[in-house]
Amino acid sequence: MITVNNLSKSYNNIEVLNIAELAIPKGQSFGLVGNNGAGKTTFFSLLLDLIRPTNGYITSNGVRVDASEDWKPFTSAFLDESFLIGYLTPEEYFYFIGKLRGQNKSDVNAFISQYEGFFNDEILGKRKFLRDLSKGNQKKVGLIGALIGAPEIVILDEPFANLDPTTQIRLKQLIKSETENTHTTFLISSHDLLHVTEVSERIVVLEKGQVIKDLHTNPETLKELESYFSEALDVN
Amino acid sequence: MMRISEFLRLEWLQFTRSAYFQKGLAIKILMGFLILYFGGIAILLGVGAYFIAEEVAPDVDPFVTVNNILILWIIADMLLRYFLQQLPVINVKPLMTLPVSRKRVIRFVMLKSVTSFFNILPLLLFIPFTIVLVFHDYNPIQTLVWFVGILSLSLSINFTNFLINKNNTYFYSLLSVVVISFALKYFGVFDLGFFAGLCFNALFDKPYLIFIPLTLVYMLYRANIKLLHDGFYLDDMVTQKVTLAQETDFSWLKRFGSLAPFLENDIKLISRNVRPRQVLFIAAVFLFYGLFFYTQDTYKDVPVILAFAAIFITGGFLLTFGQQVPSWDSQYYKLLMSQNIPYRQYLKAKWMLMVFGVLVSFVLSTPYIYFGWDIYAMIAAGAVFNIGLNSFVTLIGGALNRTPIVLNEKAKAFANTSGFNPTQLLIGLPKVFLPMILFYIPYKLINFEAGLISIAIGGFIGLAFRSYFLSLIEKIYLKGKYKTIAAFEQEP
Repeated sequence: MITVNNLSKSYNNIEVLNIAELAIPKGQSFGLVGNNGAGKTTFFSLLLDLIRPTNGYITSNGVRVDASEDWKPFTSAFLDESFLIGYLTPEEYFYFIGKLRGQNKSDVNAFISQYEGFFNDEILGKRKFLRDLSKGNQKKVGLIGALIGAPEIVILDEPFANLDPTTQIRLKQLIKSETENTHTTFLISSHDLLHVTEVSERIVVLEKGQVIKDLHTNPETLKELESYFSEALDVN
Repeated sequence: MMRISEFLRLEWLQFTRSAYFQKGLAIKILMGFLILYFGGIAILLGVGAYFIAEEVAPDVDPFVTVNNILILWIIADMLLRYFLQQLPVINVKPLMTLPVSRKRVIRFVMLKSVTSFFNILPLLLFIPFTIVLVFHDYNPIQTLVWFVGILSLSLSINFTNFLINKNNTYFYSLLSVVVISFALKYFGVFDLGFFAGLCFNALFDKPYLIFIPLTLVYMLYRANIKLLHDGFYLDDMVTQKVTLAQETDFSWLKRFGSLAPFLENDIKLISRNVRPRQVLFIAAVFLFYGLFFYTQDTYKDVPVILAFAAIFITGGFLLTFGQQVPSWDSQYYKLLMSQNIPYRQYLKAKWMLMVFGVLVSFVLSTPYIYFGWDIYAMIAAGAVFNIGLNSFVTLIGGALNRTPIVLNEKAKAFANTSGFNPTQLLIGLPKVFLPMILFYIPYKLINFEAGLISIAIGGFIGLAFRSYFLSLIEKIYLKGKYKTIAAFEQEP
C-alpha cells in the first residue's frame, strides 16, 4: 500500500531522514519508535506531503504523494493540535471533516455515537470550543476525527501521549478492532514501547533518520526493544 | 532577586527574537519608515494644531479652540486602545513559579503597559504643541500643568483599559455616550465638547485643578495593582475566559453546494475570534472614509481623488480580510493541506465572502446619496471594480503573504507586518491606482460618466476572467505549499 523509494530529507545539508526502502502492506498496523530527533514526525510529514523530500519519493496506493493529490481521499491523519480548528465545537469539527469526506450529519452522528465511552461524557454536547478543551480531550477529538469516513490509511503521531490511562487502554482496543474489522492501515509513532508493541503487528526503529530495526511483533519484541534502548544508555 | 533590568532584558529578547523581527532587512526598513511616518504625522499635527486653530477660528484663542475639540481625541484614544491595545498580562505565566515577588512582577507589568505605543503617541502629539504654546507667550508653568493633565488623562485611559479588559459593556456605554452627546449637541441641549473645553481651559487657568487628573490616574493605578495582586492565579487572570458556542442554523448555506462547509467555517471564523472581528471593525471604519473627502470642497474639483475614496468605502472588508487569506487558516493549515480540499473550492468560498462584504458595504453606503447621485454612482462603480478585480488582486497578495495569525488574540500595534511585505505592497498598488487611471483618462477625454463606466468595465472584465485568476492563484498556492506550511508553523 505504501512504498518508500530512496527517501531522504535534509535541512541545511544535515540529513534528518534516509530510508532506502520500506513497504507497508494494506491493513498492516505499523509502529514507529525512536528517540527524539529520530525522524518519526519527519517521515509522517513526508507521507502527508507537508514537507518536500530532498531525494526519492513515497507512493501510497500507487499515487506518488508529492506529485498528485489523489492520496487525500483515502488518507487521514492526526499529528498535532494544528489538525484541530480551535473555534469549532467538537461536533462542528466532526461535521466539517465529515463533509470533506462525503459524510452527512447523520452519518457523522451515527459514527461518533460509537465512541461515547471514549469521550467519557466530557466532549459531546458541551458547546465548548476545541481551543478551550484540555490537551487530552483535544487529542481525543483529533483521534476520532481522523477515523471519520473510513479512511484506508490512518497516521497518528504519538497518540498515547497526554491521554489518561483509561483512554490509553480504550485507544488500544479501538485500534486493534479497527485493524481487524476494517483492514485500515494504521501508522503509529510512540515513545511508549508497551503500548506500541501491543497495537502493532510490525515495529520499525528509527535512529538519526535511519531504519535500525524492522521487527515482526511477537511476545519477545518488547524485551528486544527495551534492551535496544537501554544499550543506547550504556553507550552514552 | 530579579531586578527590573532582568525583566527589561527578557522583554528585549522577546522583542528582537520574535518572528517578525527576524524578517528581511527590507521589511525592517519599511517598518522603520512606517513608525517614522506615523510619528511624524503626530509631531506635525502637534506643531500645526495651534496654527490650524488660528486659521479656522481667527477670533478665538487657538488654545481654546483646541481644548474645545480635545474631547474628540480622548474618545478616539479610548476606542483605539479598546480595539488595538494589547494587554500585557499574558507574559506573566512563566514568572509565576519563579522566586520573584508578586509586587515586582506586577509593577513591571504596569510599567510595561505604560511604554506601549499608545502612550508614546500623545507625547509625540502634545510635546510639540506645548512647546508651540510656550513660544506664543502662554505661561510656561500653566502650560506644563495642562500638559501633565492631558497626559494623566491618557494614562488613565490606559489603566482603565486594563481594568475593563475587553468588556463589551464598556464599549457599548462608550458608544452610547458618543451618540447621546452628538444628539444633545445637535438639538442644542448640551455640548459635551464645549463643556470638556471649559474643563481643559480651567485646568490651564487654575493650575491647582491638576490634582483631579493626577488623583484619577493614581487611583486607577492602585486599582490595577490591587486587581492584579488579588488575581495573581492562573485560573483568574492568565487563562482566557471560556465562552460557549451558540447554536446557529447554517442550513441556508446549502444553496452554495460544495462551498457550503467552507463558508460556514469562515462565518464561524469571523464571529468567534478576536482578530477577524477587528477586521470587521476596520471595515466599518472604512465605510466612513468618504466623509473625509466628500465634505471638503477642495476635492470636489478633483474627482480622481473621489474615485480613490470610492474604492475604500466598499472595499474595507475585502481588502483587510482578503490580504490575510490563507493566513486566517494558519493555525490548522496542516489539516487543510492533508484533507481532501481542492484549492479552487477553498478560494471560491473566500472570494464569495469577500464579494458579500462588498455588497453589504455598498448597501450600508446608501446614505452617501446625500452628497449627490454622482458620488453614489462612483461608489457603485468602485464596488463593481472591487468585486471584479480587487478581490482577485487581493487574493494574489494574500497567497504571497505567509504570516501566521493567532486568531483569538488582538493584533499588537505594528506587530502585524503582513501588509508591509514589499511584494505585497507592489501588488497592492493597482488596487487603488488602476481605478484612478481608469477613471481619469475617459474623464478628461469625454466626461465624468464615461470615467465611471470605465471603472465598472474594469470590474466586469475581471469577472469575465474569473477562472483565469482562480487558476493563477491556485498555481501560487501549489508552488508555495511547503513554504507556506513551514511559515505557518512558526510562532507569529
